[in-house]
Amino acid sequence: MVERIKAELGATLKETPVGEADYRERGYHLFAEVASADLLNVARFFDERGFYLAALICVDYKEYLELVYIFSNHASLCKVKITLKIDPAKPVAPTISTVFDCAYWHEREIREFFGVSFDGHPNMTYLFLHEGIDFYPLRKEKIPVSDEDKKALGAFRPGEGEDTFFVNLGPQHPSTHGVLRVVLKMDGEYIEDAQPVLGYLHRMHEKMAENRSYLQFLPNTGRMDYLGPMAFNLGYVTAVERLCGIPVPDRANYVRVILTELNRLSSHLMWLGAYLADLGALTPFLFVFDDREEINDILEPVTGSRLTYCYFRFGGLYNDVDDAFVAGTRAFIERLRSRFSLYEKLVGGNVIFTNRTRGIGVITKERARKQAVSGPVLRGAGIPMDIRKSEPCAAYGEMDFDVPVGTRGDALDMYQVRIREMENALNIIEQALARLPEGPIMTEKAPRKLKPPKGDLYHTVETPRGELGIYIVSDESDKPYRMKWRVPSFSNLMIFPELAKGNLLADAVAILGSLDLVIPEIDR
Amino acid sequence: MVCLGERGVCLEKEVFPVKFAVVEKVLDLARANSIWPMTFGLACCAIEMMSTAMSRFDLDRFGAGVFRATPRQADLMIVSGTVTKKMAPVLVTLYEQMPSPKWVLAMGNCAISGGPFVFEGQYNVIEGVDLLVPVDVYVPGCPPRPEALLEGFLKLEEKITGKRRFPGPESRW
Amino acid sequence: MEQIGNMIGWETVKMVVGLVGVLVFVVLNALILTWAERKVAGHMQRRIGPKEVGPYGLIQPIADALKLLGKEILTPREVDKPLYYLAPMIIFVPVLVSFVVIPFDASLQVMDINVGILVILAFSSLSVFSILMAGWGSNNKYALIGAIRSIAQNIAYEIPLLLALLPIIMMTNSFSLKSIVEAQHGLWFVVYQPFAFLIYFIAGVAETNRTPFDLPEAESELVAGYHTEYSGMRFALFFLAEYTNIFIVSAIAVTFFLGGYQGPFLPGIIWFLLKSYLLVFVIMWLRWTYPRVRFDQLLNISWKALIPLSFINLLITGGLLKL
Repeated sequence: MVERIKAELGATLKETPVGEADYRERGYHLFAEVASADLLNVARFFDERGFYLAALICVDYKEYLELVYIFSNHASLCKVKITLKIDPAKPVAPTISTVFDCAYWHEREIREFFGVSFDGHPNMTYLFLHEGIDFYPLRKEKIPVSDEDKKALGAFRPGEGEDTFFVNLGPQHPSTHGVLRVVLKMDGEYIEDAQPVLGYLHRMHEKMAENRSYLQFLPNTGRMDYLGPMAFNLGYVTAVERLCGIPVPDRANYVRVILTELNRLSSHLMWLGAYLADLGALTPFLFVFDDREEINDILEPVTGSRLTYCYFRFGGLYNDVDDAFVAGTRAFIERLRSRFSLYEKLVGGNVIFTNRTRGIGVITKERARKQAVSGPVLRGAGIPMDIRKSEPCAAYGEMDFDVPVGTRGDALDMYQVRIREMENALNIIEQALARLPEGPIMTEKAPRKLKPPKGDLYHTVETPRGELGIYIVSDESDKPYRMKWRVPSFSNLMIFPELAKGNLLADAVAILGSLDLVIPEIDR
Repeated sequence: MVCLGERGVCLEKEVFPVKFAVVEKVLDLARANSIWPMTFGLACCAIEMMSTAMSRFDLDRFGAGVFRATPRQADLMIVSGTVTKKMAPVLVTLYEQMPSPKWVLAMGNCAISGGPFVFEGQYNVIEGVDLLVPVDVYVPGCPPRPEALLEGFLKLEEKITGKRRFPGPESRW
Repeated sequence: MEQIGNMIGWETVKMVVGLVGVLVFVVLNALILTWAERKVAGHMQRRIGPKEVGPYGLIQPIADALKLLGKEILTPREVDKPLYYLAPMIIFVPVLVSFVVIPFDASLQVMDINVGILVILAFSSLSVFSILMAGWGSNNKYALIGAIRSIAQNIAYEIPLLLALLPIIMMTNSFSLKSIVEAQHGLWFVVYQPFAFLIYFIAGVAETNRTPFDLPEAESELVAGYHTEYSGMRFALFFLAEYTNIFIVSAIAVTFFLGGYQGPFLPGIIWFLLKSYLLVFVIMWLRWTYPRVRFDQLLNISWKALIPLSFINLLITGGLLKL
């Protein structure tokens, strides 16, 4: 696959060379630098071959701005990094949102944070920030936003039509699970248009990363996705380990898998409860929280916290698990298995629930690829893609589990996929517990002060919500030069407007719930 | 500068024109035992806020489990998480929409002082919700445990009635 | 006493005393039901519910009521004032009237009107006006959507509600609630008319806007629906009306299908309240178990299932009676 794409891409690009990178060091197989005239052609090239745009990143190298396009494939492992250099004095680039729909949102983000304007983009208005911020936050130098730009960015105004009116779903609304705001254009109860407005919880994680050392940034990862902090922890830790070449002892890898899966369980349980609360059933919410507390009881003595875990360290773990943990986990697995039948009876077998979710928010495979959705939403749409399988980190490679997929791609499928994923997680934990090796939990080779070699890395892990991509650029100092988080909820949310269009308000709430969003992760 | 919205709602309207000490006392007792929080989750702390209302900790024991989604029917705003500059006008509007007597509980370090997100050159976080609205009770932690939030509720009750429901830990020594 | 009675007529005195009694009962009923609802919800959700305020949390509803009483009386600036003010008062009138004709016991009935059930049905459809007023007057989009939903729902479910009661009226040849109860001396009508009972109960739950039919105030969609902008005592009146409506729906079900106040050993009033509160409990049980149906599904259930079924039931009953 990689060879074929290399040859074909080389033929398309003609003059510019296509380089081959060391996948284990860089996280991508091929790279090429293109001119802005070629960009659209390249995008079409990847579109025809069934790739999706995994991430669109902007890096400020002071002399020039670099746009990084990561293209990836669902079917087989092949990642390509395409870069485009632009002049920081006059930052303009062509849009590829005409080819890949998800670029629409990424380009808007880059516009606000770097001031790069995209030619041909239909809507270059504020998505995350607001008028009060008068410089481009992620540029290395403080460059003020010109009045002209400000006017263009603040141009988003919901305009009411003759028979339509606007409803602000959020920022304070029970069903948005946080501070997401969706501006709904309604015709009676039917939704004509939905526009997400983000940034109500933008906490500057990416800016912070540039201001702190690698270790100091570690606690931030848990606060990005507060429901699945372990997976974010795992992603960041493995990324830095990969960048610096730090080995990890076996025992630590197994414990990482167990804890990440336990956390995935608690995240999915929370989703189940919140989703049913969205549909009007409040009691399951309390039932799943009961199970969640059990997970917390297991995790708390080990990690020291109930929610925003910061347990993994570069090269190992913070402390070792004991026999009580193993016994507690085994008991919990038994307990949860017996609870699944209860949930199945109460929820899965409920006529109202199935009627509310069947055929709602149908995502086709093609749309899922174009919008780059990931995780359970992608699997619900019928694409068997799990990064735990395709790019296993920690000890996932040694675990035996299947990848559940949906057949219809509707909200009910998302529910079933997540339920089966929970069962899978239990199996994985059981396997890992059975094979848990003895030995050290921390490598002795971990350097005190991390100074990764120069270069970049795109590292992905599977979080409860989908593909988390971490793009780190290192300049050999103890702080990352640039760190970009490609977060799953952001991409998953972006398919919402087209799903909501033409549906009832109640369906929109059901669809929004089925995507399982965590807002701080979207806003970063 | 944060825009506080156009409408200035009169906040401190006297409920009773004539002050009756006993009536006030009874009403305070009723208020302290029926604090309805607003369904208003901001960030990580919101999950612990939910945990507090759920089976194990059961906020409803103290009559405070009725989460109202509309500010018009709420007595308490739990600021559970980081307040950003984009969120600030919304938060102030919500506070203004609540009928008095009303209270604000700052839950977690972010709401108290900006928490871990305060650094040189930060551009988007309000460093403490008390810069926007008056705060009655501060519950520190990142995030605070549910027990801490329960203690916050007890502190608020103490603030309203002047009496503590359960003996505090200080009475032990 | 007799003089006064003769002067204004015993009926009037009875009426006034009855209304005062009804008012007291309505308030007490709402207080008990809010407490019960929270307790039932608590125990169904693996927790305790109100516990610290008074023994078993019994003082809790009183604290809530006093607190709501002491809240600032807040009128948003943009509301349509007359409608906004009137709505919570108007929602209360039909509720009171309905109580006048319900026979709590053989002798405990404020007024036995020979068209009793018609009075209840006529007045209960008035409550939808107040919801419309609240939704429109609040000048809030959520409230407006809630009100619109409520109207569609009430219109759709009033028909099966009435159609489910008609077979009983045909069987007893009377609109008077008391004679309907008396007619069930032997067997309760639920035995003759199980389908009518089910249809009535489903429609009744829908009429009271309870889960799974709580669309007008669906929290996860419409924040609080038609009473989004109401606070303090005005909100409390909506709350009061909701709980009283639940009781009325249950009470009519008991009167029509479950033998009313009749039962062995215990006095009639006890039997009546027992049966009614049992049905109220079932309604609460439904609320804490089921998710909410969607708007189109809600209407489909009524127009495509309940109304045809109740028609068939009516036809069969009519045919059997003729035979």
